[in-house]
Amino acid sequence: MNYARWDSSEQGLLAMVSQTSHGEHQHDCLGFRSFVAQLSELMASVSRQSIHYVKPKRPNHMRAASHYRFGKWSDNLHKSLSCGLVGCLLIAAGCGNREVVDENADSRPVEHQSGDASVFHSDTQPGLPKQPATLDETETNPVTADLVSLAGEYLPLAVLPKLPVPDDNPITDVKVKLGKMLFFDDRLSGDVGTSCFSCHDPRVGWGDGNALSRGYAGTQHWRNSQTLVNTAYLAKLFWAGESTSLESQADSAITGNLAGNGDKVMIEERLAQIPEYVELFHEAFGGTRPLYDHVTKAIATFERAALNSDDSPLDRYLAGDDSALTEEAVRGKALFEGKAGCIQCHNGALLTDEKMHNLAVPENPLFTKDPLRQVSLRYQHFIRGVPEEKYRTADRDLGLYYTTKRESDLGKFRTPPLRYISYTAPYMHNGVFETLEDVIEFYDTGGGEDENKSDLLKPLNLTEDEKWDLLEFLESMSGTEVRMVPPELPDYEVIQTTAATH
Amino acid sequence: MRQSMIQVARCFFTFCLLASFALGDAAWVSSQELTPLTQSSVDDSSDLIDLGRTLFFDGRLSGDATTSCATCHDPSKAFTDGLPLSKGYPGTEYFRNTPTLINAAKQSHFYWDGRMSGDDLPSLVRDHIAEAHFMQADGRLVIERLRQIPYYETTFKKVSGGEPSYGKILNALAAFVRSLKSTNVPLDQYLNGQKDALSKSAIRGLTLFSGKANCIQCHHGELLTDGEFHRLGVPSNAAVFNDPMRHITFRRFMRTIGVGECATLRHDIGLRCVTKQESDDGKFRTPSLREVANTAPYMHDGTLETLEEVIAFYNQGGGTAVDLTTPLKPLGLNKAEQSDLVEFLKHLSGDSVEISAPELPTYELRPLGQF
Repeated sequence: MNYARWDSSEQGLLAMVSQTSHGEHQHDCLGFRSFVAQLSELMASVSRQSIHYVKPKRPNHMRAASHYRFGKWSDNLHKSLSCGLVGCLLIAAGCGNREVVDENADSRPVEHQSGDASVFHSDTQPGLPKQPATLDETETNPVTADLVSLAGEYLPLAVLPKLPVPDDNPITDVKVKLGKMLFFDDRLSGDVGTSCFSCHDPRVGWGDGNALSRGYAGTQHWRNSQTLVNTAYLAKLFWAGESTSLESQADSAITGNLAGNGDKVMIEERLAQIPEYVELFHEAFGGTRPLYDHVTKAIATFERAALNSDDSPLDRYLAGDDSALTEEAVRGKALFEGKAGCIQCHNGALLTDEKMHNLAVPENPLFTKDPLRQVSLRYQHFIRGVPEEKYRTADRDLGLYYTTKRESDLGKFRTPPLRYISYTAPYMHNGVFETLEDVIEFYDTGGGEDENKSDLLKPLNLTEDEKWDLLEFLESMSGTEVRMVPPELPDYEVIQTTAATH
Repeated sequence: MRQSMIQVARCFFTFCLLASFALGDAAWVSSQELTPLTQSSVDDSSDLIDLGRTLFFDGRLSGDATTSCATCHDPSKAFTDGLPLSKGYPGTEYFRNTPTLINAAKQSHFYWDGRMSGDDLPSLVRDHIAEAHFMQADGRLVIERLRQIPYYETTFKKVSGGEPSYGKILNALAAFVRSLKSTNVPLDQYLNGQKDALSKSAIRGLTLFSGKANCIQCHHGELLTDGEFHRLGVPSNAAVFNDPMRHITFRRFMRTIGVGECATLRHDIGLRCVTKQESDDGKFRTPSLREVANTAPYMHDGTLETLEEVIAFYNQGGGTAVDLTTPLKPLGLNKAEQSDLVEFLKHLSGDSVEISAPELPTYELRPLGQF
């Protein structure tokens, strides 16, 4: 579900974007210009109306559990999937309905009211044998289910470090400006119907709000679109770490046949036909004409410089402001670092170990319901060069296996960072969980069923109070929403030249 | 090499001209040079052709599933789009005229600049599916789409002995294109001895075609083309350079084929983009004249709207391009002669090739894990 609420004009906007992206293509620059103008206007009006992030309501301690939002994740699954099918708008609507139901709650069972989470305030627990911070996920961690702190064993939670910037692509203002324009510009895609913005939308956490991404026109993507916020700090991008820099990620997204389907030379020539771009490329990179390599560098710079969030309550807490986290969130933190074992993978400033793990996340039934998802799944199998037998029996995303072809890597995905997570539903590589509650429920049962499942996952036996505490803590990892109004984009213009006429 | 071939052609033409004067029988001369359409040497099964026809109309062969072969090669317009310049993939606009596909399989070269050999029709199809300005599709993605459509899975198995593959897709489309032939053409009937197949005006036009107007110099053989490249000085279509989308597509094409000065070109260099020879600048493949009455507008960039304009263009001795290697000269044709020529050109079309769009088979779910 999406915590962000949408008003009618924003829904209209999203419908317009969606319609334009999927339907008629922009064949003329005038149409394109008017589209962009409309878009900017609508976005501006939307931002003025300040859409608020709506926190889920923890039930009052005087009420009973009948309204309780946690449940077996598999029971919740069908809700998330039906929503996923019709897109993020309906997910948002569904969220609203569920919250209305919450109002009829009774009191909670007494045993859930106890403050036993305080047991997990871990600093007083005796230290455990030290393990290296780079614990291999295949090693069994003996303490997962124990009521002790794991905080000392892993990279500590921390405020964001200094922004890493590649030596060959320093941040400049003009590059950020250029990158922002390119980010929103459909003309980087093959049929000028898709921009980065199409699947990385500020209004849905810089993902696309769907369980599985929409992909290029004529296709349906096979993975969840991830947030771009704070991705500058990651060394592995995409769900199985297929890309190692924002620059190369942008390249893959622009040219990928299920994403932008763009042609590099066509992109350069399109940009060369837009004087404002020519000028900006010259300012940003020198040279006389826009180069594709500079397109990816500019977009990466924009993402690196502009899409960061470092003002979460957790950040303030880690910086010494004890009042930044609620009592519940502090208890949740102790669970995160202790009983729940989250920190085994979600550690460090980015709350990810950037390692690959198989959690046996349930398959997204869309692969049995949507022919085009089946096309994309088989296509991915084939172009990544898996053995024919695996291609013929393709039934799920193979994760890290696509890259390594090692059986032991089947179904492994890179631990996603947890920052900004309140805005980035649905969750997991296939978007199969609609809410963080579903995610917590999934881990509480010890993950799913898979012969390759990580040994780190064990039933957690969290009480419902503990789940709420954990949820509260997870929600403290998101700061102010990074909103953005698409820039106005310049049009193609006739190139005048006196040179070389015959 | 090309120069010498043109020399040969020129000598041959002179010989024909002399012969016609000597014998005083233009019809006899023309029958030496224009020959009836022959049967294709390839015998495609009707099942393969049917499969190719369905593929021909199927937009899912393009990147965003919007553009099929029939988008630009519309059967109701003699397999052209009827536009001066072709549309191209969404987001692009092409910079040359769409030629007809009827009889196209017999050509010695494909494309106006002849950049592909006429020996390899499947590769021409591949070029269309893959090119950024035509269909911008990844071959494997196309295959996986077809594998999701039961009709294609079963039909490829039946016709080509296996599941869809890129080669099988190209071959099926090539078979369909090969099947597009002119039939019952008045000229062929006339050449085969049915003297009333051409009107009197058309016969006068044929005489001019083979004589005074010199058309036969380049337009001869069964396709009425010499398969060669000539510079006629056709006026440049300004839209290629004044319409940003076309200019982009033009420059991108010229860059990808290795033309260095693509950014500053202000005319279509034709054959030169293939050979990189200055002497080939502005030369284009002699088009077949079969079905010509149905394929307006004319020339490589569609600048001449009617056959009358084309005849008038030649009558004035072609355009103004420098260093004409083709000896176009003012022909001195009067109005009546010009209309006789047009009348003759209208007798080069056969029965209309009636191909209706099939109902396209739909995607269906498959049992997951059983592909």
